Amino acid sequence: MGRVCAITGEESFVQRLREMGLGEAALVRKVSGTTTILCQVNGTRIALNHDAARGIMVEQLPGNAH
Amino acid sequence: MVCVTLPSHIALEGKKRVRAAGDLPVYAMVGNPNCGKTTLFNALTGLRQKVGNYPGVTVEKKEGEAYSQHGRPMKIIDLPGSYSLAARSPDEGVLRDVLLGRRADTPAPHRIICVVDASNLERNLYLVHQILDLGRPVIVVLNMMDVAIGSGQRIDPTKLEAALGVPVIPCEAIRGKGVVALRLAMSRADLPLARHRWDVPGPIAPAVAELQASLVQTDGRAPLVARAEALLLLTDIDTLRVEGSTTLSPQTHAVLAQWRQRWAREKMDWSGTLIRARYEAISRLCAGVINRTRDLGPSWSDRIDRVLVHSVWGWLFFALVMAALFLSIFILAEGPMGWIDTRITDLGGWVKASLPAGDLQDLLVNGVIGGVGGILVFLPQILILFFFVGLLESTGYMARAAFMMDWPMSKVGLHGKSFIPLLGSYACAIPGIMATRTIENAKDRLVTILVAPLMSCSARLPVYLLMIATLLPKNEVSTPTKIGIMFLMYLVGTVGAFGFAWLFKRTLFKSAPPLMIMELPPYQAPRWKEIARQMVERAWLFLKNAGTIILAISMVLWFLTTFPKHPDPKVGVDVQIAHSLAGRAGHLLEPVIKPLGFDWRIGISLVTSFAAREVFVSSLGVIFGVELKSDDPAPLRVALQAARWPNGAILFTPLVCFNLMIFYVFAMQCMSTVAVVKRETNSWRWPLFQIGYMTGSAWLICLVVYQTGRALGF
Repeated sequence: MGRVCAITGEESFVQRLREMGLGEAALVRKVSGTTTILCQVNGTRIALNHDAARGIMVEQLPGNAH
Repeated sequence: MVCVTLPSHIALEGKKRVRAAGDLPVYAMVGNPNCGKTTLFNALTGLRQKVGNYPGVTVEKKEGEAYSQHGRPMKIIDLPGSYSLAARSPDEGVLRDVLLGRRADTPAPHRIICVVDASNLERNLYLVHQILDLGRPVIVVLNMMDVAIGSGQRIDPTKLEAALGVPVIPCEAIRGKGVVALRLAMSRADLPLARHRWDVPGPIAPAVAELQASLVQTDGRAPLVARAEALLLLTDIDTLRVEGSTTLSPQTHAVLAQWRQRWAREKMDWSGTLIRARYEAISRLCAGVINRTRDLGPSWSDRIDRVLVHSVWGWLFFALVMAALFLSIFILAEGPMGWIDTRITDLGGWVKASLPAGDLQDLLVNGVIGGVGGILVFLPQILILFFFVGLLESTGYMARAAFMMDWPMSKVGLHGKSFIPLLGSYACAIPGIMATRTIENAKDRLVTILVAPLMSCSARLPVYLLMIATLLPKNEVSTPTKIGIMFLMYLVGTVGAFGFAWLFKRTLFKSAPPLMIMELPPYQAPRWKEIARQMVERAWLFLKNAGTIILAISMVLWFLTTFPKHPDPKVGVDVQIAHSLAGRAGHLLEPVIKPLGFDWRIGISLVTSFAAREVFVSSLGVIFGVELKSDDPAPLRVALQAARWPNGAILFTPLVCFNLMIFYVFAMQCMSTVAVVKRETNSWRWPLFQIGYMTGSAWLICLVVYQTGRALGF
C-alpha cells in the first residue's frame, strides 16, 4: 500500500488521473506488473503503462511490502 | 469562496422546456465507462434503437425510444461513457458538446439520467457533480448495488436523494431490477432540480464569473449552462474541438486567454484546485451515504486476476484464448459457410435457368450474385469473431488482454489499447478500424488504423487456400503442412503490422511515448443478450455494406470484364476477357508485375480483387473458364497448374503461388476498408497513403522474394 505524493507529466494526463481519483493523497496498492502496472485505487483496478506510471510518485506506507 | 445554489426559476424553465417542445421529451444517458449504462439503455428501449454516427465525427450515435408509465413515448440518447466532461477523446467531446447544447445536429436534452456504479460511488459522482452544474433535471441511477454490497459497502439511496435533491434510483440493470422505478421517475412531469451547493474555489471564482457573463452575452448560452461551460473551459486544457460543434465567440476566447495567461504567470494550478474542490464536496456528500460495513478481503475479481494477469499463468491463459479464437473462426465457421455457399450457387443456378441467356442474366449471375455472394460467405466467421469479442468484452477479459499486450505493443511505440483493434482485424479490418475510437491519442489511433489491414483477415483465406492447394501437388499433403503455411502467412502479416507501426512511430508520427490509463472492470458473467444484440447489429451493418458498396463495385467490374464485346460472340470467356477493358488493363499492367512472376491474367485478378480480396479466386475462375465451387478448389487448382506462359513455361510455379500469398498479405485490396478509413480519418489523404504504402511494399517484397527465389533455383 502506498500514498500518491506527487504527479508529474502532460497536463491533460495529470488532470485525468486526478479526475479518476488517482490524485495526490490517493491510496494505491500495486496488484501486478513490472513495466505495465496494475493497481487498485479506491475499489477500482487501473492499468498504467510504464511511461504513465513513471510520473506518479508514491510514498510507501509502513507495514506493507508493496 | 463563492457559493452557488440553483435559483428556483430555472426549475420552472426546465419544466416549460419539456412541455413547450411539443414533441418527445429527450433524455440523455450518461455515466463512467463500465457503469452498466448500455445494459440499462437496452432494458429501457428494447429493440426500439437507432444506431448512426454524429455527422462530421466518427462517434456512434445511439438513440432509442421508451414509453412512460402513461404510455407516452420518450426519446433516450445513449451518450459515450466518460469520467469527466473535460474531454480527452472525440467520444468524450461529443458527450460534453451534446450536454452543453453545442451541437446543431442534436438538441440539448431536456433531462439527464446519470448512471453511477454504486460500488465506486465517489469516483462516479465526479461526473454527476459536473452534470448537476448544468442546471437540468437529473435522475441518478445507483447501478450495481449488488456489487457494492458484495464489496462491503452499504449505500443509503434515500440519504443521497435528500443530499442531492434529485431522484436516486437503486438498480441492478443486469437483472432488470430497478428499471420500473426508473421508468416511473422518468414519467414524472415535475422532476425537481438539484440542491446543488458547492463552493467554486475563491481564486477561480472571478474567472468563472467573467467567462459566464461573456458566454451569456456573446454566445447566447443560458446562465447556468454558461457557468458550467465556464468551469469546463478553465479545466479543458486543450479544449478538444469536435467537428460539428459550434465555436466560441472571439470575446469569450479573449477572456479565456487572458485568465490563462494570468494564471500561468502566477503559476496557479487551477485545474488541480478545481478537481480537489469537487472531490471535497463529493466526500462531504458521501460521508453519511456510504457505510463501509467491513473489509471482506479480496473479491472474486481479485482472486481471478491473481491468475489471469500473472506473469506466467496469465500468458498461458492468453495463448489459450487466442488459440480458441482462431480455431473457432476456422473450424466452426466451415459448416455454415458451406451452407451459404451452396444456397448462393443454387440461387445463381435458378436465375440462370429462369432468365434467357444474355447480358442481364450474366450481370445478375456473375456480377450481382457472384460478387455479393462471395462476401456473404464470410458472415459466419464475422459472427463468430463478434461473439468472441463480445464474450471477452462483457466478461471483462478484453481489458486484461490489452493490459498483457501493453509491453509488446510498447516496443513498437503503441500501447495496450491498440491491441484490441488489431485483434479484431484478424476477422475483418472494418470493425477493427472502428474499434480504434477508444484510443485517445490521435497519432496512435492513426498508426493503428494504418497497420490494422496488415493483420490477415478472413477474406484472405480463400486466396491462401487456393494457392496452398495449387502450390502443393496432389492431395497427399498433410493437413499440418497446409496449416503450417497458413500460419506462416498470418505471422508474416502480424510481423509486418508491428514493423510498419514501429517505422511510422519513428518517422511520420513521432510523438512522446504514449501514456495509457485504463480501468479494468470487475469480472462478470457474460451478458448473452447483449452479445447477441451486438452480433445482430454488426451482421446487419456487414450485410448493408455488401448490399450497397460491394454490389455497386461488382456491377462495375462485371461491366469492365464484359465490354467491349469481342466481334465473334462464340469465343470463350477467356478470349472475351482478354478483349474487354479489364483484359486490356491486365495487358497494360503485365510489364509492372512480370518481375514478380505474374502474367496479365493474374494482373486482371489483382485489379478486380482490389474491390475485395476474395474476388481474386472468382476472377481466376472466370478467366481460366472453370465453373467455380469455392468449397472445392480442386478443378480450379488443376486449371491453374495447367496454365502456361506463351513460351510454354509453367505459370503457377510453387514460387509464384507463394509470392501471390505474400502479395495478398501486404497489398491493400479492399475497397470497403478504404471507405471506412476515409470516414474514420475524415480525409482521402490517409486511405490513399495506406493504399500506396501497402501495395508498394507488397510489390517490393514480392520482387525480392521472386528474384531471390529464382536466383536460388526455385
